[in-house]
Amino acid sequence: MKTAKKPVKTPAKAVKAPAKPKVAFFDFACCEGCQLQITNLGETLLDILGAVDVVEFREAISEKWDKDYDVVFIEGSIGDHHAEERLKKIRARARVLIAYGSCATIGGVNGMKNSFPLDEIRASVYGKDYKLFDSTPTKAVHQVVKVDYFINGCPVYAPEILEVIKHALRGLPYTVPDNPVCAECKLNENVCMYERGLACLGPWTRAGCNSWCVNNGNICYGCRGSVSNPSKAAQDVISKYNLKPELITGKFDMYNKCKENDEKPGRGK
Amino acid sequence: MTTQLVREEIRNSNWKLRTGRIIAARQMTPAEKWFDIALDDGELDHEPGQFVQVELFGVGEAPISVCSSPTRKGSFELTVRAAGRLTRHMHALGKGDVIGIRGPFGRPFPVKKMSGNDLLFVAGGLGIAPLRSLINYVMDNRREFGKVDILLGCRTPKDMLFGDEVARWQKRLDVGFNCTVDRTDPDWKGNVGLITTLIPGVTINPERTFSVVVGPPIMYKFVIAELLKKGVPEKQIVLSLERHMKCGMGKCGHCQIDHPRNYYCCKDGPTFTYDEVKDSPKL
Amino acid sequence: MNQHILKKEELDAFIKKLSKRMKVVAPVAKGHDNFAFAEVSSAEEIALKYIPTILPPKKYFMPVREKVLEFSADARGFTQKPVVEYEETAIFGVHTCDLAGISCLNMVFSERPRDYNYLIRKDHLFIIGLECLTYCDGHASCALVNAHNPNGGYDLFFTDLGDRWIIHVNTQKGEALVEGLPRASTADLAALDKARAAKREVFRNEIGVEAKKLPEIFSKAMKSKVWHGVGGRCVSCGNCTNVCPTCYCFDMTDSVGLDLRTGERTRTWDSCQFETFAKVAGNENFREERSERQRHRYFRKFSFPLDKFNRFFCTGCGRCTRTCMSKINLKDTLKELAAEHN
Repeated sequence: MKTAKKPVKTPAKAVKAPAKPKVAFFDFACCEGCQLQITNLGETLLDILGAVDVVEFREAISEKWDKDYDVVFIEGSIGDHHAEERLKKIRARARVLIAYGSCATIGGVNGMKNSFPLDEIRASVYGKDYKLFDSTPTKAVHQVVKVDYFINGCPVYAPEILEVIKHALRGLPYTVPDNPVCAECKLNENVCMYERGLACLGPWTRAGCNSWCVNNGNICYGCRGSVSNPSKAAQDVISKYNLKPELITGKFDMYNKCKENDEKPGRGK
Repeated sequence: MTTQLVREEIRNSNWKLRTGRIIAARQMTPAEKWFDIALDDGELDHEPGQFVQVELFGVGEAPISVCSSPTRKGSFELTVRAAGRLTRHMHALGKGDVIGIRGPFGRPFPVKKMSGNDLLFVAGGLGIAPLRSLINYVMDNRREFGKVDILLGCRTPKDMLFGDEVARWQKRLDVGFNCTVDRTDPDWKGNVGLITTLIPGVTINPERTFSVVVGPPIMYKFVIAELLKKGVPEKQIVLSLERHMKCGMGKCGHCQIDHPRNYYCCKDGPTFTYDEVKDSPKL
Repeated sequence: MNQHILKKEELDAFIKKLSKRMKVVAPVAKGHDNFAFAEVSSAEEIALKYIPTILPPKKYFMPVREKVLEFSADARGFTQKPVVEYEETAIFGVHTCDLAGISCLNMVFSERPRDYNYLIRKDHLFIIGLECLTYCDGHASCALVNAHNPNGGYDLFFTDLGDRWIIHVNTQKGEALVEGLPRASTADLAALDKARAAKREVFRNEIGVEAKKLPEIFSKAMKSKVWHGVGGRCVSCGNCTNVCPTCYCFDMTDSVGLDLRTGERTRTWDSCQFETFAKVAGNENFREERSERQRHRYFRKFSFPLDKFNRFFCTGCGRCTRTCMSKINLKDTLKELAAEHN
């Protein structure tokens, strides 16, 4: 074994010790369940707290920080003008911004709002005076500001949080796997949901969750968004298992309606 | 009974890294950086056309062609284009930094077969990097080869790599030289156009000429067509192909070439003669 | 070597005895006609009649994720420790198709430069084969590639003779485990011959094209239209390669701890069906189309290994067809290629 005589330098862009990076969490339209995932990390959380300095975290602490942030986690989707402005202000103060959880990365369930005419849905929620309440079609975080890291999932998958934090601390890009969930599910030797007679979104959804849901007996709901080049062969999958294609597209809309913002120029960003 | 998981150290592991220290580095263009690396355990012991796997601690590995000739002792050189995750990260490194090295890997240029023959080098863009290991080898052993011609092409004059060295080759009386750029700038007095336009102007004796061509995949098709037109035999057109070599040992599968013989670029190549790979749909 | 006899009611005692020495894994039922190799401690947990497991036993030879190097970099410099991790394991009930798969992997990883991680681990795996006397299902094509009969590669090999198994002992390690079991009698050996003879009537070339014709068919298949049909259906989920007993492509990744100083290199299974597999930095993709990737998979089974190892890297297990999300069928593809060739 060789021991080098000189220390290995960490590349310039990485966040440098000894000053611990200031980390903050902000929530927008969401259930805050992804923030709870942080507190669910258990012992790993203590290790993370040894590496970073959490300055804002509504689920656990209440102090207010008025300087810039090294890393901010944005949870939730953007559903009104006020949220959009607030997000832009946070971005201006953040060196690294992480979209955290499905609502932030792909719009998530809040995107279902976009399936209806805006005024119709506002009226149904707020009643006849709905115009008094600000509301816009749902956007994912990257459809409003630049995002440096994406942590997908509803909720986020704990090992992936850790991976992204380590990448962010070292200034390295993190690549979300661009393979379908099946790729990981097969390695876990789960009985395919289609074999059980259930339509699962695994063949089109981005992996990286280690097929968490299927391992625990659930189908994949598509909460990590679709792979960048989804197969057009849905028809073949469906025909093999005698299912209706509308079933799949309908299921996908539950989490992925905001994807249309990326596809239609002039909307979104 | 569940047995214990045994963890054993492997002395002769394929994954053991050689440690290398960057002894000099220079930004050549905004996209390309040059590194001179000395290994702690001695010479790299490579041949022209081979590559190494560069490991940056915790970031991963990437295959990089050695751009210096083995005739130059004590260290070896790499030209790294910031194109992927590892190479971008490597651009942040400089003198004194330690990197991991595996290799050298790959089949070198067929130097022995080429000796005694004429040589026509054709380099496009970053292709000059692997080719430089051979050109400098030939310059250092000039008597062993016949007539030597070098043709270079790059996008703009600013993208020209190894400018000083290229100028020295240009001045040599025993080397024919020509270069061209795709897009010119006000200071450029040379040729403008694709590298293929330079080939008809070179006088060669095709029977005894080896043409070594290295460049982006798109370049091969057109350059090879020109060389064949000139009568260079398929067996004497030598290429260096680009693939993503991940293991360097002909196993991981990433670098396999679409060809009835399914070559592993890392082991069967990266240098191939045209007749070996001409049945591949994509070079 | 010798042949021994194990009565069916004695299997439980055999497994229990074996599991005192090492970890024992065997096919277990997972429901919906799915099976997987998993740890067992008694005979009743084992699915003796099973169709090929979701993942082949290659998962014990080259684990899905495998640490190959530990390293740390700090003020003192860079240190490393190349490692192999293994567990003394007996794999019980391996069908002949999977034995063929293991012997393919053995050839690949013994080829220079040798893969010590694989070779060291292999020496700690004990293989007990189990003969198929009938087809598992209609997706198998083991007779095409002659993988329906045992061709070595095991320590012990079980063949069902009704109320008992006849065990072929192939190694010294195997000899130690059948100690105390009675030797097979002439009648037992005759019963084995009879079973094998009956098998010849059952197992027939499944595609109606002789295996020796396949190399010629593939030599013309690079530009075949068949790949467009196959690629058009492909989901690029990688199921076909993950479940293949002879696929061994892998990826290497580095990970670090939260201290950002210590870390490890891991080898993980990869798939040539993934869009990023043949992509290089700078975004050139040498197998961008699904059809190109599927063609590559078939060439890796029926063309390339023939030149290199003088055998097919398809064992006819049928897993790729069974697992495909979109009805890509190996037997049908071969038939289509053959038809196009004629």
